[in-house]
Amino acid sequence: MNFKHKYFFLFPGLFVLIGILIFPIIFVVRLSLSGWNSYNPGLDYIGLENYIRLFTDDPRFWESFFRLSFLSVTTVILQYVIGFALAHMVWKDIKFKRFFRVLFLVPMMTTPVIMTVIWRTFFHESLGPVNDLLSVFGVAPKWLTDPVIAKFTVIIVEVWQWTPFMFLLLLAGLLSLPKEPFLAAAIDGASPVRKFIYVTFPLMAPISIGAIIIRLIEASKIMDTVYVLTSGGPGTSTETSSFYIFIKGLREFQMGYAASMSFTYLIIMIISLTIIAKVLTKVLLKE
Amino acid sequence: MDLVANNLSYKPDDQYHLNEVSFNFKEGNLYTILGRTLSGKTTLLKTIAGLLTPDSGEIEFDGKNFLKIPVWERNVAMVYQQFINYPHLNVFENIAFPLKQRKIDQSIINKKVMDALKSVGLLGYENRKIQELSGGQQQRVSLARSLVKNAKILLLDEPLVNLDYKLREQLRDEFKNLFSKGLADETILIYSTTDPRETMELNGEVIVLDEGKVLQVGPAKEIFENPNSLKVAEISNDPPMNIIEAKISDNQIRFEGIDVEAPAHLSKLTEEGLKIGLRSSDIELNENGHEFEVELAEISGSETLLHLKRGDTKIIVSIEEVLNFKIHDKIKINFKIDRAYAFHADGKLASSPFGGLNG
Repeated sequence: MNFKHKYFFLFPGLFVLIGILIFPIIFVVRLSLSGWNSYNPGLDYIGLENYIRLFTDDPRFWESFFRLSFLSVTTVILQYVIGFALAHMVWKDIKFKRFFRVLFLVPMMTTPVIMTVIWRTFFHESLGPVNDLLSVFGVAPKWLTDPVIAKFTVIIVEVWQWTPFMFLLLLAGLLSLPKEPFLAAAIDGASPVRKFIYVTFPLMAPISIGAIIIRLIEASKIMDTVYVLTSGGPGTSTETSSFYIFIKGLREFQMGYAASMSFTYLIIMIISLTIIAKVLTKVLLKE
Repeated sequence: MDLVANNLSYKPDDQYHLNEVSFNFKEGNLYTILGRTLSGKTTLLKTIAGLLTPDSGEIEFDGKNFLKIPVWERNVAMVYQQFINYPHLNVFENIAFPLKQRKIDQSIINKKVMDALKSVGLLGYENRKIQELSGGQQQRVSLARSLVKNAKILLLDEPLVNLDYKLREQLRDEFKNLFSKGLADETILIYSTTDPRETMELNGEVIVLDEGKVLQVGPAKEIFENPNSLKVAEISNDPPMNIIEAKISDNQIRFEGIDVEAPAHLSKLTEEGLKIGLRSSDIELNENGHEFEVELAEISGSETLLHLKRGDTKIIVSIEEVLNFKIHDKIKINFKIDRAYAFHADGKLASSPFGGLNG
């Protein structure tokens, strides 16, 4: 079809795309080549200075990045295992199936920031109900002020908040599976456990990959939980990349440097998620 | 080791899927369950396999209560009418699946799978994906999967019904070969079908099922020659047997103004409401015959099916050649009346040309 005015009709969409995606990315790249900070707000040109600083003189960024990798991978694995277990449970015909399906989704419907405030109260070392209960056993973990335990507190809160999303994706996947292979497997002598290992799980592989990638992207942006729960502390022990970039850019106002970190972070995420997707496809789909 | 069922009933809604079904299947035999769609064939097979639990009744195998044994321990194999395979596995892995569920040496598995592939004619396909196969090939894979187990009970649920004509013929022959080789002397083979021709060709013991009820049990030949009721006669013939309401008096069969001399096995039946049954193949075209009007003429393969009408009587005639007729053509036919059946008003067989219930 040859239609003269097609560009005219394409323009609104293109305009939005340029406005919200292409322009910001180009602007960030340009910003990362400038020394924009609170003394000198402006797009001057300082070459790769910011990048040289990032790669040679900023271990804190890399520490926060590896911490983020640990946190996101751990939370996503836990979410996948728990989410799959819950989805599998309400997939079969059990009593109060509908009730449980809705119940398991409740955390996702709450506001993360507010729930995190509640969790912070829960885990408060001297006033929180968690330690109050644990005092029966004579222990009082420093949920928010011990550098190691604080990481796991973040993981607990994240898992609680976002497992429902994983649950939802996996339940949808389970419900869309063909019924026939399960009939065949039962007749072929597969006990329920083997049926799960050899039929359910492999059939769910494509959906699992999708769900894991979506959750990894989401989990890598973790910010609100850290901000409210520990503010990156104690010290920098729960600081993640996005939180560190936020500190540099919007607290210390080193816009140029924060832009170079954002851009580097974006590139690393694209590369690593591509690799993860490839590896998962290879392992789960044997392709 | 016999498979015995007593009064199996299954009624999930207001209709019986199985109604007091009993049977006694002996090892080394082929049993054909013949019935129209929704007659309960699949339900019966699923019950034997353990995918369904009947509301009442019992199944015993080898003296043990079969209903208490979970599906995966029953050692049955089943081929479904929809070709069911594992979409995530290739052909080899599909066939190996039942073997992998037991602790069997990989080398033995390899050998068994290759043997099974050979017997269904799929050698060389072992690394293909299931989705890359045609319907017939997929059905062969699921057949191979059921053979490889050496199950004591092999259930085939209308395995040919979803295949095209050509493949059906071909696979039916292969089935016959497989069965006649004697799968294993201790196997009970149960084959369900809607197709009377298939039933006759397989030539096993036939169970005629309708609305969940067993109507007649007997060798294929017996069912064909002496159907015990109108229903069985309809189910076991394709096209269904022609049923003509007629009167017999003075040694003449009379209907629609036609008088035909009654053969010896019918001449004594003079009761009211008698129905005469005549197969579509037992009517022939004849210049000197009785005039009927063509309602529909369909050509299927090398035969022509004529739907004819005279007064209120409608009959179907099959002729072993391709003939062209127009609607409303008048043609003349003759009845091979010595091959006619007679049924009482309640549908029970009154007399058959093969000597069932004479007089």
